[in-house]
Amino acid sequence: MRFPIAWQLGLTLVLFGVLGTGLTGYFAYQASRDQLVKASEERLLTATRVLMRQVTVALKGTATDARMFAQHPQAVRILQNTAADFQQLSERNVALLFERMLAVHPEYFQMRLIEADNYGRERIRVDRGMGSILHIEGEDLQEKGHYPYVFDALRLPPGSVYVSRASINHEIGAHAGEARPSLQFSAPVRDTEGNAIGLVVINVDLESLFVQLAVDLPPELRLYLANGRGDFLIHPDPARSFAFDRGQDALVQDDFPETAVLLSGSRPREDYVVTSGHHTGGASEALVAAFISQSLPGLEAEDEFILGLSQPLSSVLAESNRLAAETLSIVLSFSVLAILLAIVLVRALVRPLHQIVSGVRRFSAGGTIGELPVARSDEIGELALSIEHMVTQIHKQIEDLHEQQDKLDHLASHDSLTGLPNRRLFLDRLERALARARRQETQLTLLFIDLDNFKAINDVHGHAAGDAVLQAVAQRLQSLLRESDTAARIGGDEFIVLLEGTWDDASVEHIVHKVQASLSLPVPYQDIELESGGSIGVGRYPQDGSTASTLIAAADQAMYRCKTERS
Amino acid sequence: MVNCINISVERSLISSVWNRRSLLTAGFLLLFGVAPAWAATPVLRVLAWPGYAEPEVVQSFEQQHGVRVEVTIVTSDATLWQKISTRNMDYDVFAVNVAELQRYIAANLVQALKPELIPNTRRQLPRFRDLAAIPGAMAEGRAFGIPFTYSGMGLIYDRKQVAVAPTRIAALWDSRYRGKVIAYDGGTHNFSLAAQRLKLKSPFRIEAAEWPRAAEQLIALRRNVLGFYTQPEESVQLFLRHKAALMFANYGMQQVQLLKAAGADIGYAIPDEGALAWLDCWVVTRAARDPALSHAWIDHMLGEQASRLLTERQGLASTLVEQADGRPGDRLVWLQPPEDTGRREKLWARVRSGDQLSRVLAP
Repeated sequence: MRFPIAWQLGLTLVLFGVLGTGLTGYFAYQASRDQLVKASEERLLTATRVLMRQVTVALKGTATDARMFAQHPQAVRILQNTAADFQQLSERNVALLFERMLAVHPEYFQMRLIEADNYGRERIRVDRGMGSILHIEGEDLQEKGHYPYVFDALRLPPGSVYVSRASINHEIGAHAGEARPSLQFSAPVRDTEGNAIGLVVINVDLESLFVQLAVDLPPELRLYLANGRGDFLIHPDPARSFAFDRGQDALVQDDFPETAVLLSGSRPREDYVVTSGHHTGGASEALVAAFISQSLPGLEAEDEFILGLSQPLSSVLAESNRLAAETLSIVLSFSVLAILLAIVLVRALVRPLHQIVSGVRRFSAGGTIGELPVARSDEIGELALSIEHMVTQIHKQIEDLHEQQDKLDHLASHDSLTGLPNRRLFLDRLERALARARRQETQLTLLFIDLDNFKAINDVHGHAAGDAVLQAVAQRLQSLLRESDTAARIGGDEFIVLLEGTWDDASVEHIVHKVQASLSLPVPYQDIELESGGSIGVGRYPQDGSTASTLIAAADQAMYRCKTERS
Repeated sequence: MVNCINISVERSLISSVWNRRSLLTAGFLLLFGVAPAWAATPVLRVLAWPGYAEPEVVQSFEQQHGVRVEVTIVTSDATLWQKISTRNMDYDVFAVNVAELQRYIAANLVQALKPELIPNTRRQLPRFRDLAAIPGAMAEGRAFGIPFTYSGMGLIYDRKQVAVAPTRIAALWDSRYRGKVIAYDGGTHNFSLAAQRLKLKSPFRIEAAEWPRAAEQLIALRRNVLGFYTQPEESVQLFLRHKAALMFANYGMQQVQLLKAAGADIGYAIPDEGALAWLDCWVVTRAARDPALSHAWIDHMLGEQASRLLTERQGLASTLVEQADGRPGDRLVWLQPPEDTGRREKLWARVRSGDQLSRVLAP
């Protein structure tokens, strides 16, 4: 039995149970996971939009600051050098205002008043230093006319504010702003004729601006900022921020290919993108991310911004992982349940089958079939009943066979006419009796009987008459003998009688006479009476022989002598 | 190609087709799986600058020689040095600025060439054939680099504003063009320009006493320019947007090509002092698998097809024919390592930041 039915059935049941719960669990998990990712994409997009709005507001605020100072009458007076007497005082006052602004705005690196003449010489400059705000004067003031935030800004129409590209500030002497990512805001200062005679320039710390705005974001969110070309300006990995400044490329469209549609100049152009999955480039882990591109309306911005937020997919899926764990435990418990159920079911099914099988085995080994589950009303009960029925049938047939066998045995060992043991059975019994007698040292007596006149009866009255005589002789012999004695017909009209036990001569004589007398009685046949009789010879053990043949021969000879004597 | 450091990060042809991850996978495949299958076809590993090994040129070489060519693109001297010095075994042949070549020779990274294996050198202009006259191309009497392409850093001028082509480098300081000049933001070259303006003996050797004058010149330059650029595209934008009159073409013909493509009516002039110029040579690595094949590649690059495409597509000059818009007698001053790059850059950073002379020269 390589695969017992119990196993087959059990495994099938378990398989169905586990597979069913497993698949249901898996698809439920998958659906919830997709929903989570989608929801987090939307959440990120919203957060990015809010952040972008804040950025825009902040940038516009800075532009307003620059414009306000540019329109301040004192700025014009200083640049025109009209208030010669108060020049120094005015400059000090404006510097003080700049200092106040830097104190209020931690994201401002630098505020300057730059004149258009003298190659864009700085007139008033306040820098953020390490932990202090510095008023820069004298030789430390520089000429900035060759920077776009000067030469481009001076060409702007009235009322507009120039916003530079985001870049690393490589201007020597910029104090805290040196070598830091910066944005320059320049607002032209105009004289009464409307000519741009100088600029108010505010350098903004790009990182602190964005970090300040992003400070309320959940810690697992990562902030990205890229310019219109896709160069990262802010990236969780500092090596990817401003890579272009180091002669390398680190582009948002390389890390997040979907953002290609956000770049300035791309067709078709989208203003936002959400994405999830594994991305090439910097991050090796899977992320969910949202990106928005935005120009700065109302400002003369040199560039656009692409702002993005990402969240590790793992943290998005933390919830779904919990769900997965729960689903898994449900699946597992249902599977265990399925296994238990399968065991119970299999046992319920297999036990009666085993009962039947062992019953049948016992039966085939010759024993009784035992108790079968016949009381069940199902197929197993039916099977048990059928088997029981079959067993009954088999029992009956075996009995018949035995009976048949007995009959055959009887036929083989008895004379069919008289019902007496035949010669073969008699010899067998004689041998056994001899063995017994030898062991118990007792005696045996054989009476050899030959019917007289039998041939004549046959000839005169027919074989049926002879048969009647033989039957009558048999009956009479049996009626004379004890149960332990044996009378047998060993030939046509020859009988032999075996008497066990020790007999003295007189008793033998007596029984011989009784037999002779009995045989002499006429046998009624149809309307006549048939006259017969018998000659009897005696052979005795151990006196006349010690073997069956010698004993029979001795009795035969004695019978023959007797017959001869009588005739 | 000196000063292209800012163009873009190195990027091989292969990785522009595949993303990095699949490149990695391909790398593994190459290492463990496919390599034996390809072993039958010899592979030539070429490290080239953008535009040097055009697909058609590679294809015709592959067909002629029954090999496969693996081209990797570099875009900065720094990455080229990094690749050749750390992974010499991975490349057979590469192109390098002749001014840079000496350090490769000194580091024993390249091998002496067998000119007889490069018959096409006979087609080169005499001044490129005479390697002894090109500083840096030879060492110990043996040739190490075969000139391939070059560009002078001439002056681009707007034909409408500048009637006569400028003949002197001093044009950059010409007050007539104040606020209409665009210059390059790079200390090494700008000090060479200042040295040329000052008629120093060599633009690459500023003597101690000459530094204040040179710095002064650069402050004067700063005061005369509209602005400074670092990248070719940026220069073109500045030039067009601000209707500039004159521009120092650090990227040479590449900028001319870009401006012409944008429809600008410009001229290109080589000043009499001679234009600073970079010259790229093909060289064979020390570890080249099949030097003869590498030589054949160099010969192929000097062929008609490669030279024609170089000019047509990149606007770069081949060493076979004179530039069509060049004047006879144009002088090129091949770049040489300057006396003190660090000092030039430090002082330049101060000039560019707007410092006055005393500040620029401060220790």
